[in-house]
Amino acid sequence: MQPRRPLPPTPLLWLLLSLALPAAAVAPWDRERTDVPARPPAAGLPRGILQLAARAALHFFNFRASSPSALRVLAAVQEGRAWVDPQEGCEVNLVFSTERYNPEEEGEESLGKCSARVFFKNQKPRPAINVTCMGLTEKIKRQERDNLLYKQVKQLKNPLNVISIPDSHGHIDPSLRPLWDLAFLGSSYVMWEKTTQFLNYYLVQISRVKQLKTNDDGIDFDFTVLLHEFSTQEIIPCQIHLFWYPGKPLKVQYHCQELQSPEEASGIDEASAMAPTELSNF
Amino acid sequence: MRRLLILSVLLQAVLGNENFVGHQVLRISAADEAQVQKVKELEFLEHLKLDFWRDPVRPGLPIDVRVPFSSIQAVKVFLESQGISYDIMIEDVQSLLDEEQEQMSNFQARALSTDTFNYATYHTLDEIYEFIDLLVAENPQLVSKIQIGNTFEGRPIYVLKFSTGGTNRPAIWIDTGIHSREWVTQASGVWFAKKITKDYGQDPAFTAILDNLDIFLEIVTNPDGFAYTHKTNRMWRKTRSRTQGSLCVGADPNRNWDAGFGLAGASSNPCSDTYHGKSANSEVEVKSIVDFVTNHGNIKAFISIHSYSQLLLYPYGYTSVPAPDKEELDQLAKSAVTALTSLYGTKYTYGSIIDTIYQASGNTVDWTYSQGIKYSFTFELRDTGLRGFLLPASQIIPTAEETWLALLTIMDHTFKHPY
Repeated sequence: MQPRRPLPPTPLLWLLLSLALPAAAVAPWDRERTDVPARPPAAGLPRGILQLAARAALHFFNFRASSPSALRVLAAVQEGRAWVDPQEGCEVNLVFSTERYNPEEEGEESLGKCSARVFFKNQKPRPAINVTCMGLTEKIKRQERDNLLYKQVKQLKNPLNVISIPDSHGHIDPSLRPLWDLAFLGSSYVMWEKTTQFLNYYLVQISRVKQLKTNDDGIDFDFTVLLHEFSTQEIIPCQIHLFWYPGKPLKVQYHCQELQSPEEASGIDEASAMAPTELSNF
Repeated sequence: MRRLLILSVLLQAVLGNENFVGHQVLRISAADEAQVQKVKELEFLEHLKLDFWRDPVRPGLPIDVRVPFSSIQAVKVFLESQGISYDIMIEDVQSLLDEEQEQMSNFQARALSTDTFNYATYHTLDEIYEFIDLLVAENPQLVSKIQIGNTFEGRPIYVLKFSTGGTNRPAIWIDTGIHSREWVTQASGVWFAKKITKDYGQDPAFTAILDNLDIFLEIVTNPDGFAYTHKTNRMWRKTRSRTQGSLCVGADPNRNWDAGFGLAGASSNPCSDTYHGKSANSEVEVKSIVDFVTNHGNIKAFISIHSYSQLLLYPYGYTSVPAPDKEELDQLAKSAVTALTSLYGTKYTYGSIIDTIYQASGNTVDWTYSQGIKYSFTFELRDTGLRGFLLPASQIIPTAEETWLALLTIMDHTFKHPY
């Protein structure tokens, strides 16, 4: 186990924090290493905040990159600092490594590295994120793969005779993999917007495909996903409607079922009209 | 007899492309010749589309007829107005057909021995219970099945006991599937059961353990929830208990134990997935284990297995006060994780529940630890979120294999450090 040496904070910040936080022997700067289990965090600092922030940064990054064939996932947090000011919010600075979401198609070196600043304002969702990543797939290869994915989706026969992706056994039919990647891309936007310093999300399943239209303008995909919410353990259904064309920014609208209906979360509310809450146009 | 009748209906369905939703089969008792005649008259009303399985012949012989949904009311009104008594033999023909279909296809997939059982796929409750019986039958000297209780919905709860003798030896407890949607855990439990019977007498280190300690393994710790994940909602986590006054079903069995019960780290909302239940041990699935552990009195290690996140955790979850044995538990966790990672490179994080994952009150190992079971651990198996609960079946065996190495480390330490 590596000993931890908290960095001395600036005098002003220390004043702010010592006023705001209870007087415990607590370091306002939490320097974490991945091979060391997390120690009790500074008061007000949520557990696992570094991992959570890294994931939020990646959701934002993936959404902005708008490339379903170049999705990145978290490999490991390498270093990070987090601090909380109850008046302002929670800020995290970190460096982490990433992997390609589709390691199956591998041969090439897939490890990337990102540095990010993630800021949660007053416990609200939709953190402000600055993220830079290196070691990614070159643009040309990305475009090639996106074009291939586009073709594969175009070839899918409509109406899709499909209930869940993956199925209960975790299986995804190879022909449907592009849909899963698109859903993951769309869900990235949703998961970024919903993440707070206390709640983060994982994509579980496409539980319903409402509509898939592919023409020369792009892919119009209307579907429902299930998100797994930590730490409440709830399963949140979100209806997502996205429009994507290779090389162009993703457009997405969504509506998540917020209140837990009496009975299971898989009961998709078919009758209610979906009110678009966000239309993103980058 | 019924099966023949069903098959004939099935044949009709296949050939005629019909469905039988809402159709009922009535058994009519005609008391006298006049009533028999009345029922015969029904046969001629073609618009009713009645399908007689047993024709009206004479009084005293049952008359069985399949009645399509649209004709049910008319037929019943007719029979009642004539004073002809009847019973509903089949409430919904289609449901019965669906059930039969499922059973038939399951029958084909049924293993005849634990050597032909497919460990690389997810199984139903029935299949796992059959596996348990097969394992016991094949290893009567080593394995026995104990029923520790019944679930809320009345299903038996089984624990496998692995023992080479003695009386009430110090024991290791392992449970999987307390949260029903965590399918890789029940699947791993099945694999562990087989592994124990294979390695005893073959692997010296393990043989020494089982020569001195007993192992209890509860593979399906939440049978109601598990059945529900197969039948209705793959994402179901809790038990299926009903609370009066609430539309929501079930409590989180990992918040229902009597350790910091109801404190922060559980929900008091019955609709929540971390609802702690109306009181500690209110869930029979939990109470059954509590009673078993208390009556046994000699359990020395307790390991409760979940997924996902790739973590090895020890108490406490309900408080940030460090457990008195934290140092030893932390060291043991480190060794166990090292062993696990050695197989496929799967990375695990370890630590106390509250430090590593989140505050969780009323959880299993906080209680077992409070009962003096020092080596109390919770696992979170693969993966870290890419597939989560829907872990591809191809990962079942690798997950079980690597986890087994960690379990061996804990069991070995327990054996060598009696207390």
